[in-house]
Parts: sequence; structure tokens; C-alpha cells
Amino acid sequence: MPYDVTFTRLETQALYDLKGPRAALLDWAGEALPAFPERPNTATGDGVVLMFIGPDHWLVRAELTAEESLETALRPSEAPPEISIVKISDTLAFFRIIGPDAGEVMAVACPMDLHASRFGREAVSFTEAFGLKALVTRCEGGFDLAVEQSFGPMVTDYLSRVIS
Amino acid sequence: MQANRLNKGGRIDRSRQLNFTFNGKGYQGFQGDTLASALLANGVRLTARSFKYHRPRGIVGAGVEEPSTLVELMGEDASGNRPATTVPLSEGLVAKSVNCWPSPGFDIGAVNQLAARFIPAGFYYKTFKWPNWHLYEPTIRKAAGLAAAPSEPPATGHFETRFGHCDVLVAGAGPCGLMTALTAARAGLRVMIADEAGEAGGALLSRRLTVNGAPAMDWVASVVAELAALPNVTHLQNATVWGYREHNYLMVTERAPDNPSLLERSWRVRAGHVVTATGAIERGLVFGNNDRPGVMLASAVQTYVNRYGVAPGKRAVIFTTNNSAYEVAADLVAAGLKLVAIIDSRDHVPEEARVLVPGIEIMAGKVVIEAQGGRQVRGVAVAAKTGGSARILSCDLLAVSGGWNPTVHLWSQSRSTLRYDETLATFLPDTPAQAISAAGAANGALALSDALRSGAETAAKIATTQAPDIPDAHDLTYAIEPLWRVETAKGKAFLDLQNDVTVDDVHLAIREGYSNVEHVKRYTTGGMGIDQGKTGNINIIGTVALAQGVAMDNVGTTTFRAPYTPVSFGAIGGLREETVALPYRHTPITQWNLTQGAFMYESGARWRRPGFFPRAGEGLQEATNRECRAVRERVGVYDSSPLGTFELKGRDVGRLLDYLYTNIISTLKPGQCRYGLMLSDDGLIMDDGVCLRLDEHRWIVSTSTGHADAIHSHMEEMLQTRFPEWNVFITNVTSQWNNATICGPKARDVMAALGTDIDLSPDAFPFMAFRDGTVAGLPARVVRVSFTGELSYEVNVAPRDMRALWLKVLEAGQPFGILPVGSEGSHVLRVEKGFLSLGHEVDGTVDAYDLGMGWAMSKKKPDYLGKRAVQIRREGSGVRRELVGVIPEPDRQIPEGAPLTPGGRKEKTEGFVTACVWSVVHDRWVGLALLENGHSRHGETAHVRLKGGDVIPVRVTAPCHYDPDGEKLRS
Repeated sequence: MPYDVTFTRLETQALYDLKGPRAALLDWAGEALPAFPERPNTATGDGVVLMFIGPDHWLVRAELTAEESLETALRPSEAPPEISIVKISDTLAFFRIIGPDAGEVMAVACPMDLHASRFGREAVSFTEAFGLKALVTRCEGGFDLAVEQSFGPMVTDYLSRVIS
Repeated sequence: MQANRLNKGGRIDRSRQLNFTFNGKGYQGFQGDTLASALLANGVRLTARSFKYHRPRGIVGAGVEEPSTLVELMGEDASGNRPATTVPLSEGLVAKSVNCWPSPGFDIGAVNQLAARFIPAGFYYKTFKWPNWHLYEPTIRKAAGLAAAPSEPPATGHFETRFGHCDVLVAGAGPCGLMTALTAARAGLRVMIADEAGEAGGALLSRRLTVNGAPAMDWVASVVAELAALPNVTHLQNATVWGYREHNYLMVTERAPDNPSLLERSWRVRAGHVVTATGAIERGLVFGNNDRPGVMLASAVQTYVNRYGVAPGKRAVIFTTNNSAYEVAADLVAAGLKLVAIIDSRDHVPEEARVLVPGIEIMAGKVVIEAQGGRQVRGVAVAAKTGGSARILSCDLLAVSGGWNPTVHLWSQSRSTLRYDETLATFLPDTPAQAISAAGAANGALALSDALRSGAETAAKIATTQAPDIPDAHDLTYAIEPLWRVETAKGKAFLDLQNDVTVDDVHLAIREGYSNVEHVKRYTTGGMGIDQGKTGNINIIGTVALAQGVAMDNVGTTTFRAPYTPVSFGAIGGLREETVALPYRHTPITQWNLTQGAFMYESGARWRRPGFFPRAGEGLQEATNRECRAVRERVGVYDSSPLGTFELKGRDVGRLLDYLYTNIISTLKPGQCRYGLMLSDDGLIMDDGVCLRLDEHRWIVSTSTGHADAIHSHMEEMLQTRFPEWNVFITNVTSQWNNATICGPKARDVMAALGTDIDLSPDAFPFMAFRDGTVAGLPARVVRVSFTGELSYEVNVAPRDMRALWLKVLEAGQPFGILPVGSEGSHVLRVEKGFLSLGHEVDGTVDAYDLGMGWAMSKKKPDYLGKRAVQIRREGSGVRRELVGVIPEPDRQIPEGAPLTPGGRKEKTEGFVTACVWSVVHDRWVGLALLENGHSRHGETAHVRLKGGDVIPVRVTAPCHYDPDGEKLRS
């Protein structure tokens, strides 16, 4: 039978790109952020989520309604030169893929092993989806998949084909 | 009427009769049949013609090893070159033979047999050389046959590719594969098992063996049920593991996935460990006319009798070199077929084999020297192995067994090595090159109990656990004395049936110096094609060994290629078709563009952009002219969101930009921007763009659309490899900013009409400056740069605001006659200005001086990327092609890329036209060109030479055709 899955393109998310030494970021904006994840490719926080996506590289994600407060707390334009904080909310298009066959649909899109034993609840990683650079996280009942915003229509097209 | 269907037996559903058509004639078969078994049941013996000589051919095998009967499926199942033995019978199936016209019974191409001695291997390499091979190629390819690809995609359904991951991938669900999977799965490993057949069991489906005292298929069913109940197991049937790549990356294609919307599904599997439990393939025997319809592999005959309830013949002879054929003989007798005799090339037949066939004549030490009959076997000539007179045995079926070859295709594809085993007379897996193990018959364990033990022990080793107890299973001991070919004087003796390669062909190759087995393969084509030497390779190697008097090990093997069996192109491409065949990118304005009837196309980095906005009755030229006039005379707006945009942060950003760009960037003050050129290591132009300084440590770098990703990588590479200590962070914000560029004499008016808190006066906001503020109530960054030569405001906003901005710009600009402008218009406007375009004037050979942009090459900076390379090149005496303007005289369009030659003569080119557009300013065609010593040739006449010899004189000018002092863009 066809895949038992639904997908939706989420509203724009508040996103900030954080680079630099963890200690310097903690000094600058630690109070505005969840505890820094200890392990690479994991995330912490609820509501405001901090994702450890590379060496000295994090992403902060929240609902768009939190963007203004994050901007105030993070003060990107005032941050010292040893760290970089850049608002990138509009750069990614997020898709939520949920349902019993969400893993199957993700396996069509993504070459990474997303089995629960390898990619747990707190996992986050950049990988590929449909040949595009993509950010993958788990969500309740499935996965969130984010691609560069301009590819949003194409990924919608692709996902529609997968589940048809 | 299925004349050759046995009254009982077989794993077919006799209650479900199926109708099918073969070569235009209707037949019936049963659910569970293959096309091959149904044809044999209907007594169809002549099923194909051979590839080259168009000799009559029949069904030889029973599975993927089938070399002769390839068919083309028609209608909804349309596909080409499918072995008939792998086509499941279905209601209404329509198939026809390949390699013949009009039919296998009357084939025009059979005339090739008359000229066979003149067309040995490689004849076309020697013959069809003059004047050009391609002159003959179409005819030869057509004559060579094979089916055409379907002309239309399937009417319904689609293909899919997906990824898969497992700890252990088991290729093959025969007894060994099942035992392997079961042992590994019980140990908790994530197991994927894939098997090419419609149901699990492998050889057990065709043999009458027992496991633990019960029919072997009962044991198979119990294992399959246990695997199905385990959550850590993925079990695929009708799924062939056909490709093995680096890092244990394998390709598996399911031909009947459990999703009704899917035609086929390919898995790209990354496995921790791979076990090839791929069984073994029986090989044929080589003697005169060994390709006649009715000469079949003994194991195939056994399969048709036991699995499909079909008698492939009425009077059978068996010709063997080993014990396994005796079990086949016993099965034939049990099924009621007349077995005339067993011809065994061995002088001594083991007693355990003899006892299986009491009362059957066994002719030890004898060989078949020739199959008799034309369109099917009528008899065989049998003689002593050492020669002498022949005895003729009348028969219509000759079952041959030259021994068993482990199926090492995947093993070989993994780049693992093989060794020759004298006892088994075959090549066995030797040293693994990846995390791979071979088990069961694929590793030479040819008896059932050995195969089961091999699977269990292999899995236990991978899982680091104890091997389980092995089920009790009895099987005949395998014993063989190899026979690579029979000396024969009559008839062609084929080594590779699919490619029509004979013993004589191999001998010819060796005589002509192609002594290495890899050369023999290429000279003769033996072992090539979809067959990949499944039945014939080892006989070719044996023939080479005999001819050269060397051991098999010294001859070696060729490399088996993927795919192991034919794979649909669709199964490889998966969902990538129609609109998603190639990636595409949209800006938030795309839908508006489409609503306006814009002509859209890809214009770099996969962005789909509007080329022009035609009105009723307009074509490209009319629409583009209208848009350009709006910009030159009033105002236009275009969406330049796809330009690459990066935010750079850190103390050393200025140093990095000074290194990357040819001019000095670091001296910029906040609020200013500067144009720059980026060179590669070899001093050629890589990109051009604009840098903005936001504050002391934050910058924006804007790149061309097409090179955005490459420049991002380039900047990161420089930082990571040359300046790892520098404090610079790079963030891609291309999609954080969209922009509407308002350009034209009325641009300032439109900006004012939009409403902004930015002082737009030229003094407060000059050319090459930017300002942050609000425009039309939206947060915006406005940049005064120009790609059109007009007064321009690049209004950058967040994509979430882009559509609102766009509509407001059009509304505010309406009183001023604003028009949207597409890529075609932008191209015309930049050509009029003489601005460079990557891919046109920047063609990978020019530097800044060639383009008249020496001013951009800093004389003050001690070094920057590409500087030295430019110096070295320019110190040489080579003639440079330099950018010039060209005016066609007479006034006519010149194709882009048209060459310039001295005097328009047919001589070496001295340049080419990079662009030619209709100028709305000059009301005529103008262009740009790269011309040798062009800078010193302004005012001269150069000549464009078109294909066909037409010559267009062009007046050479400065590149800038419009506002050379730049007063308008600075206004």
C-alpha cells in the first residue's frame, strides 16, 4: 500500500547561526540559550532548541514568534569578533513528515541511517535530502526536514511524488 | 493444450490458467510459471536466434544464467532483453524473440550463417575502418539485434529509489542465505536479506531434498516465518543485489515491491558486512553444435521438471563431468521421462552416483562430440574421450553439466580476489577487499549440509556469537573431473552462447597476440553484455589455458561488472523524472511571474527565472525591447535574489578579502560597497561581485548567481588551508535576503513613492553605498549598485517580505511606467554597457587586463590570489584576446560564439563574438567580442565567419556602447 504519511511545510522558523568557541558564545548569550549539547549532532532545549551541528557551530531554532526576543537576547550586530551570530530564519524551508511510514519516506529522501538506534530523539544532522543539503531532526511521530528555502517548492514536489 | 506439462508436481497453481502471446501466437500457462517454463510446457523449442550468426536457439537455463532466450516484452510490461527464464508469467503477457526478423522460425539474418567463416571475432574491427566506422555502425548494430528500449514510459506507476542500512546484508535466500540471516538476526543484528527469485529457497525450490527428515521447503517456510517476525530483519524477494561499490555500498532492485503505485524500487544499501550467499551456476559443456535448441543445463532440466511440472523433452541424454547430474537423472526418471543414457567424461563414476540411477546406461569415459539436428536436437554423437568412432544416440533433450561455478560476481565487484581450486575445478573467493564474506555454494560448499554450516558459521563470526546447531540434511557428495572442451571436428563449439563466441574465436584471438584473458575478452566479447559470463567464462579461461599450456590460475579471471542482471533505467533513476528530473529553485516571486505569463527558464545554479514577460502577440525580441526601453527611458524592476550573498565576520575579514579580490577592499568604510574581481590560482577571472562593509567586523560579500556555491567553498578552503589562524566566520545568507532592483531614470521617484526613511539624495546616498532602513514599511537594506548602467536601487528584504515588496514596487512605479524585466532584458542592458558576464566574456581564458579592467588590479597590495600568475603570463609574448565592442556592418544579428577570422577567411580564429543584442538605445545590433590585440584595434574592421562561409564585417569599438562616463548610474 502507499506510504501512510502526511507532510506539511512549516511556517518560517526563527533560526540563528552561531559560530565560535563555546565558551565565548556562553559568555555572550548563555543566558538566552539552552544548555549547550555535549555531543556533536545532538540538540538540547524545548521551545528554543540549540543544535550542535559542527565544530564550533550551532543553530538556534524556535517558533517565529520568538524571533524578536532572540534577536534582542543574542544581539548579533554587537557580538564580539571571536563569535558570529547571524539571523538565518528565512534560509531554510522546514517540512514535517509524520506517520507510521515516515521512516520509509525519509529513506527515499535521505542517505543517512535514521534508524532509532542510530538517530535518536535528540539527534540532529546536516545530510542530504533528494540530493540537496538538508537538516534532519526527529519530531513527534516523524521527522523535520529542512532544505535551502529556494528549494522548498521542489521538495514539496518530491514529497508529493513519494507518497502518491 | 500444454503438451509437455507433467500431470502432477511443480510449484504452480494449476487452477489459475494464464493466457499469453509469444511471437504472435497464443498459449496457456499457469500461475507460478515463468515465460520459459510455459513455453517449454507448450512444446516451443525454437525460442530465439543468436546474436551474431542468427543460429537457432532454445531455452538453456532456468534462471538468471539463461544466455540464449532473451525476449522483448510488449504493452504495459514493455521492456527489452529480458531472459525468458526470469519473466513471471502473467495474464495477457505479450513477448517476442530478439535477434530475429520476422521470426525465429524464419529469420532473414540467418543468412549470416552462410558467411560465418568470414565473420569471426573482431572482423568488424578490421573491415569497417574506411572511411569511418560510424558509417557502418547503425547497420551493424541493427543486424546484431537485441531489443529496443521502450519508446514510452509506463502508463501508470512510478519507480523509486531509496536508501537502506543494515549490519549484515545477505545476498541470496537459498539455504545458506537463510541460515546466515537467521543466525545473524537471532544475534540481534540488523539484517537485510535479498533474493532474486519470487520466493525463498534457492536451489531447494528445484531439488527433492529433505531437511530434518521433512521436505526442505518446509524448513524454508519456517525460517522465512521466523525472519518475518523479527523487527530487525528486512527480507526482500524478487530483489537482486546487482552492484557492489566502495565502502560496502550496494545496489538492490526490487522488481515487485509491496506498494501498488511502484513499478520497481532500488535500494542503495550501506552494509556493515556483506555475505554473498549467491549459490552457484552450472556451466555448459563445449562440443560441436552445443547451442542447438534442446541442449540445456542439467540443473535447468531438473528445475523445469520439479518446480514447474514440465518435461523439456521426451527422450533425454545427460552429459556430465560430475556427480550432480545423477540427481537430475534420478528426478527425470521419477517424473516418467525416458532417459536414454548418461555420458560421463570421467573414467570412473563414484558408486554413490551410480546407485541413484539403477537400470540407466552410464557411458563412462565418453563425451558428446556433436549435437545433431537443425532447429532442435535430434540426437548426439558420442565417442570415447580419447577419440575413435562415434555412436549416435537418438534424443530430443541433452542435459549437460560441466560442473558448478560459485556465483562470485558480487564478490568480484567488491574488488575481492579469486583463486582457482583444483578439487572443485573452479574459481573460489579468496581475499576480501571489503567487509565481505562468501558462504555456501558461493564459497564452494556445494553440498546442502556444508552450505547450511557455512552460513551459520559466517553469521556467527560476524555477530561474534556461537554458531547454532545445523539442521540434518543429506546431499550427494560433489566430485568432478573438469572438461573444458571436447575436441570436435564438426559444428561450431560455443563458449559464450549470448555473445556467439566459439572455441575458434578464442584461438584466433590468441594467434593474433591477444593472449591475456582480459584481451581475449575484449577481442571476442566473451563474458560481456548482460550475461557477464555466467555460464561461459570459465570455459573460455579453460580454453585459453589449454591453448597456452598453462594452469588455470595463471590465466586468471576477468572482472565481473555491474549490473549482475539487467536493471531498468527507471529503477536507477527512481523518482527523478518530469518536474524533478533536475533540481530547481524558486524565489518568492515565481508564482507572480507565472501568473503574468513570464517565459521561465533556468539561469544558473538551478534558479528558474523569468526570461521575459511577453504580452499578447509578442515574441522574445519584442518583449525584451519593450522591457529595455522602460529601463532606459523610465524605470524597470527585476528580481535579483539569486545572487550569492555571504556574511563574513571577524577581525581578519579585510585581510581575507584583500587576498581574494584583486583590488583593495579592506579600506572600505561602513556603509560603502566596492566592486571587485576574484582570480583563481592561475590568475584567471573566477568571479566578480560587490563587498559591503556593515561595521568594523561584519561584511557582506555578493557573488554571481552561478558561482555562489563555488565561491563559498573557495573562501572556506582558503581559510581552512592557507589561513587557519585567521579570525573569519562565513555564513551563507543568500536565501536570507531577496531583492527587487529598481533601475532607470525614474528609479529615485519610485523609491520615494514607496516611502522610505532613507535619504535618497545623491549626496547622502551616492553610488556604491548602501543604507539600512525601511522601504514601503518593510525592513530593508538598499544598495546603490548597477548592472544596467542606470540609476539603480537594490532593495533587499527578507524573503517573507519579498512578495509584498514586489507588489508595492509595481504599484508605486505604475505612474512612472514601471515594467518587470526578465533575464533577456538584463542581458541586453549589460551588453550595451559593456559589463562582463561570467560565461560570456569571462570564458576561463581571460584576465582583468584583457577585459580592460586593469584598474581593478591593485598596484599597492604586495600580493593577492592570482597576481603572480597574471604577471608571469603578461610578461610572456603571447597574443591576448581582448574585450572590444563590435558593430555589425551591415546591421544584422551575429550568433553568440561566432568566430572572428582574419578577413573572414577560413583561417585560424582571432577571437569570437561573446554577445550580440538589439540595442534599444542605438536601434541596431551591437555586440561584444574577444579579439586578438583588440584594444589597439578600435576603429578597424574585423570579420565574423559563420558556419557555411558567410562573412559579416564588424566595426571594432570600445566595449561600452552606452553612457561611457557612467553619469547615469552615478546620478
